[in-house]
Amino acid sequence: MRWTNFSRRSCRGFFVGSAYGLLALGMGLVYGVSGIVNFAHGDFVSLGMYLCFALFTAFALDPYVSVIFTVPIMIALGALVYRFLIKPIAGRQLLMVIQLTLGVALLIQNGLMMAFGGQPTRAPSMIESKLFLVGDVVIRGAHLVACIVSFALAILLYVMLQSTDTGRAIRAVQQEPRAAALMGVDVGRVQVMTFAIGVGLLAIAAALLLPGLPIQPTQGLRFTVITLLVFVLGGMTNFVAIMLGGIVIGVAEAIGTIYMTHTLGQLLPYLIFVAIMLFRPQGLVWRS
Amino acid sequence: MRPDFWPALRSPIPWALLALAATMPFLLPNYYLHILTITLVYAALASAWNIVGGIAGQISLAHSLFVGAGAMLASALLVKLGINMWLGMIIAAAASAAMGAAVSFIDYRFRLGHLSFALITMAFAEMAEIYVTNTEFLGGASGLFLPKDKGDLLAFQFGGINGVYWIMLGMAAACVAVNFAILSSPLGYNLRSIRDNENAAQAIGVGLLRNKTLAMTISAVLTSIIGTIYARYLAFVDPYLLVSPVLTIEIVLFATVGGLGTALGPALGAFILAPLGEILRGHLGGFLPGLHYFVYGLVVVGVILLMPAGVWPSLRDRVLRKPAAAGN
Repeated sequence: MRWTNFSRRSCRGFFVGSAYGLLALGMGLVYGVSGIVNFAHGDFVSLGMYLCFALFTAFALDPYVSVIFTVPIMIALGALVYRFLIKPIAGRQLLMVIQLTLGVALLIQNGLMMAFGGQPTRAPSMIESKLFLVGDVVIRGAHLVACIVSFALAILLYVMLQSTDTGRAIRAVQQEPRAAALMGVDVGRVQVMTFAIGVGLLAIAAALLLPGLPIQPTQGLRFTVITLLVFVLGGMTNFVAIMLGGIVIGVAEAIGTIYMTHTLGQLLPYLIFVAIMLFRPQGLVWRS
Repeated sequence: MRPDFWPALRSPIPWALLALAATMPFLLPNYYLHILTITLVYAALASAWNIVGGIAGQISLAHSLFVGAGAMLASALLVKLGINMWLGMIIAAAASAAMGAAVSFIDYRFRLGHLSFALITMAFAEMAEIYVTNTEFLGGASGLFLPKDKGDLLAFQFGGINGVYWIMLGMAAACVAVNFAILSSPLGYNLRSIRDNENAAQAIGVGLLRNKTLAMTISAVLTSIIGTIYARYLAFVDPYLLVSPVLTIEIVLFATVGGLGTALGPALGAFILAPLGEILRGHLGGFLPGLHYFVYGLVVVGVILLMPAGVWPSLRDRVLRKPAAAGN
C-alpha cells in the first residue's frame, strides 16, 4: 500500500515536473539571450490560465483548444513587453530589471484581480476526469498530456535551436552578442523574439497545468519561485538539465509531503535549491 | 558634494521638520494619522533596506525575515512565555543580527553574484514564511493577538496611535540619520566601492566580509526593531502580512522609486507610494480589489523607465541644476 502510494506520488511528481521544466525552459531561453531574469514569469502563467478561463466562460472552450488563441495573444504581449518596457533598460543594473519585472508582475496580478476577482476559480477540461491504470498506479489524463506535450515541445525547441537559421541566430546571440551582431544577426530582434517565444511557451504550460488546479490571481509568485528553482537546478541555460531539474523539483514536492513532516516537506524544494545554488552553481549536469 | 553628517545634524531644518511632524497627532483625524503611521513604518523599512540594497548594492530579498523575527518572535515571547516585549525586541533584534550575519557570510564564502544573492535571499524568505506558518510557538498560520494596549510604557505599550506615531517618527528619523551617517563615513565609501566593483574594491583593500556583514547587521537590527513596533501597533500579528515575501517586494519597490543609495530617497518613495496605496485601498478596495497594487506597478514601471535613478535624485538635480553625480 505504501509502495503504491509512493509510485503514484512519484508519477504525479514526474508528470507535473515536466510541465515545470517547460516553464523553466522559457526562462532559460530568455536568460541565455538577454541576461534577464523575469520575475513576472509566474504572472504570465497566471495570465495564460485566466485567458483560458475567460475563453471557457465565454465560449465553453476546453483549455486545450483555447491554446490556439492564447498562444498568439501571449506571444504578441511578450514582444510588446520586451520592446517597450524591458529593452530600454536592458543592460543597466540588474536590480532595475528585477524591479521592472516585479512591476509588471504587480500589473498583471492585480489587473487579473480587478478583472476576475480574488476568488479561486477553475476551468475544467474534458479529459480532466479521465484516468489510466498502469499496473496498480492510477495516472490522471491531464498529467499524462502535460508530460507528453512538455517533452514534445522541449524536443521541438531543441531541434529548432540546433538546425534552423532562427535557432542558430538565437544560439549565436547567447554565446557572444557582439560577434553575432558582426555576423549580421539582428540582436535586438532575436531578443524580442526569444522573449516572445518564452512567453508563448508559458501560454501552453498554463493550459497544461490548468485542469484540476484552482486558480487565483495571487498565485503568480509561487509559479515564479518554482520556475526559478528549476531554472537554477538546470544550470540556467542547459536545456536537458532544465527538464531534469523540473522533474527533480516535481518529485521532491510530491514525495516531500508524505515522507517528512508537513513543514519539512514544503521546505524541501527550497533546501534543494539553496544547496544547489551554493555547492553546484553550474547546475546538476556537468556539460551540455 | 554630499552634506556631511554632523553639519546636517546641527542644521535647524531637519529638527524643525521633525518638530512639525511631531505635532501631527494634534492636527490630523485618526484615519489620516493611521495612514501617516503606516507610511512611517514603510519609510523606516525602506531606509533600513537601503543600507544593504542601495548603498552596498546587495539585492536582499530576505528582509521579511527580519521584519518577521521582530514581529513574530517578540510577540510570541510575550504571548507564550510572558517575556517583556522590550526584552523580546532585543532578543529578536539579536536573532535578526545573527541571521543577517549568516546571510552575509554565505554571500562572502560562496562569492555569490548579484543574481544568486537575490535568488538565495528570496528562497530564505519563502522558507521563513513556510516555517513560521507551520510553527505553533510563533503563532502558526493564524497569527498572534497581543494584549490590549493600556499605555504602559514599561510593557512596550504606547497608549494607542499617538504614542506609536511618535515612536515610529523617531524610528524613521533614526533610520534616515543612520543612512546619512553611513554615507558620510568610511563604511559608506567602502560599501559604495563594493557596490560599484566588488573585485576592484577587494583589490584596494576593502574587506568584503567585514563591510558587508556590518551593513547587513545594522540593516537587520533596524528592520527587526521596526517589525516589533509595527506588530505592537497592529496588535494582531499576521504571518501572511509580516513574514510574506510580498512585504520585501514592497520595501524594495519603495526604495527603488525613491532613489537607491541616497539617504532621503527611500523614505521619499515610501511617502509617495504608501499613502497612495492606503487611500486607494481604503476608498476603492471594496469594489476594485488589487487596484492599489496595480497603481504601484504602474508607478514603478513608469519611474524606472523615466527616471531610472529614482525620484529623489531627479528632483534634487532638477532643483540644484547639477548634472547627476553617478549613483549618489
